[in-house]
Amino acid sequence: MASVDVVDVRKAYGSQEVIHGVSIGIKDGEFVILVGPSGCGKSTLLRMIAGLEPITSGDIRIGEKVVNDLPPKDRDIAMVFQSYALYPHKTVAENMGFALKMRHAPKAEIESRVRRAAEILDLVPYLSRYPRQLSGGQRQRVAMGRAIVRDPKVFLFDEPLSNLDAKLRVQMRAEIKELHQRLKTTTVYVTHDQVEAMTMADRIVVMHDGIVEQSGSPLELYDRPNNIFVAGFIGSPAMNLLKGKIKLNGKASFVTEDGIDLPLTSAPQGSDGRPAIYGIRPEHFALGGEAVKAEVSVLEPTGSETQVFAKVGAQKIVGVFRERISAKPGEALPMAPDPKLVHLFDKETGLRLN
Amino acid sequence: MSDTQRITVRVLVYGALIIWTFVSLFPIYWTLTTSFKTAVNVTQGHLIPWVDFIPDWRGWRSLGLSPDTIGQVSTVREEFLKRFANSVIASLGAAALAVVIGSLAAYGLSRFDYKFGWMRNKDISFFFLSQLILPPVVLAMPFLVLYKELALLDTRIGLILVYTLMVLPIVIWIMRDQFDTIPIELEQAALVDGCSVWGAFLRIVVPIALPGMVAAFILSVILCWNEYFFAALLTSTNAKTLPVMVASQTGSQGISWWSMAALSTAAIAPLVVIGVFLERYIVKGLTAGAVK
Repeated sequence: MASVDVVDVRKAYGSQEVIHGVSIGIKDGEFVILVGPSGCGKSTLLRMIAGLEPITSGDIRIGEKVVNDLPPKDRDIAMVFQSYALYPHKTVAENMGFALKMRHAPKAEIESRVRRAAEILDLVPYLSRYPRQLSGGQRQRVAMGRAIVRDPKVFLFDEPLSNLDAKLRVQMRAEIKELHQRLKTTTVYVTHDQVEAMTMADRIVVMHDGIVEQSGSPLELYDRPNNIFVAGFIGSPAMNLLKGKIKLNGKASFVTEDGIDLPLTSAPQGSDGRPAIYGIRPEHFALGGEAVKAEVSVLEPTGSETQVFAKVGAQKIVGVFRERISAKPGEALPMAPDPKLVHLFDKETGLRLN
Repeated sequence: MSDTQRITVRVLVYGALIIWTFVSLFPIYWTLTTSFKTAVNVTQGHLIPWVDFIPDWRGWRSLGLSPDTIGQVSTVREEFLKRFANSVIASLGAAALAVVIGSLAAYGLSRFDYKFGWMRNKDISFFFLSQLILPPVVLAMPFLVLYKELALLDTRIGLILVYTLMVLPIVIWIMRDQFDTIPIELEQAALVDGCSVWGAFLRIVVPIALPGMVAAFILSVILCWNEYFFAALLTSTNAKTLPVMVASQTGSQGISWWSMAALSTAAIAPLVVIGVFLERYIVKGLTAGAVK
């Protein structure tokens, strides 16, 4: 086990820089998820930690040792690929034992460690099968088995669940988390799925266009996103972001582009008339009261909750309610945003204001 | 489709297949039976043994391979065996060399980006293949001069080298296709698992690409086995191969069909064996992608 430090790492292809000085400190035993839209550089960063991609500048340290110029085989890492990358000509047991064989471990030790990993992952009946004879979920498990057999310093996961169907994904999510709690190996996990990130991570690093937008625990990111990007990326359905201006005469409030007043508890000094973005999560609306009248366009009842797609002036919003709602499309529904849970962002910089 | 329609289609399909089988196999049948004919039977076009001609060992006797001559000393047989050995060594040697060199070249073209002047990977691949466009006769004189200078004339090594050159473009093309179907993650996984670049190639890539390699090897053997032009040009007494010997049967006393047929039968026998037993490897290697 070891810590991983990424210090001001840059990556350029020719003259085009795709990673612009990323620094991330990962503590020993931490489960860190790199999340972001496709093309944000999260996979490239993971591959640079693995040594599959050279870094242009900066330092990567695994357990205090700078590994910039070490080939992957000397970094003592294990990686699970999106496509699993199981060796098709080797059996499950051979796949899992391959790394140990490459390290010239004694045969008996390889066998016992493969067996132990197979027991953890419920793969014992499949040890002599070939990857093509396994289902998607089983292949995924073998890929994880190949990683845990070796007891490496760091696990690297590159979107390991994205080839599985929804049900299996939820199940494997829990299994990976359980595995981490059991083995406590430092883990770096890449995904584009923010739900995966929220449910599994000790700490999430949100990346966008080759920089780190914000890093913190899942609930920190959910409760206090630093900027509009993180606000819109974390949470499902996504946070409502309404355009307008801050109004400060007397009580602070927010006026949308259509002139509709929305409540605020406070706003920064001297920000009267400042163009801003009003962020409110769909679940932070209440029905009735001193409410904004929202024109309902679509209702989506799921049983446990109801999603309301509506319009405030010309801007679209989404609300999620525990109650059952029987409004008709076109009807005005009183929806009250909770002023204590409002996120205010600067329109120009996208940074948080409150 | 009704039953009668289905049967009609079947009959037509199988009829066409039977006709094509006949067209394909008849030359082999004719060669084989002719090796047991006498002059009269050849000129009169007799086809079916024991029905319109009585088989005779004459053709095989002239090679020293008939039952009554097999135990005796025969210079023709020695000559034949020497040519046969030359063909085997030249074909297998060239095919093996071409598969080794061609696989390495193809792997490079499949996995790394090259810049050679204005040429990129695609252009380099096409350059290799374009070598097949040039008719060998253009190279006749240069090769003759070159081989004379290098003292490679009439040597098996010389033949192996020129045959390797001849089949290399095809091998590179086949192997590049093979390597392209292997996901690069497999090698990356191997690198993470503790392999060097060469280790990943030899332990992971080569075993997966093996069907393609076998196919390329067999195809190369067949092409080299059939090769006549360079063998006739570059060899004389020592390294002469079977095709040259077959062609030389058209002597001044007319064509001795029976001995030529016997010789041809012996020459195509290895190819028939390859065709019957290894055909499925060729098909598998050339069609199936290695990994899903």
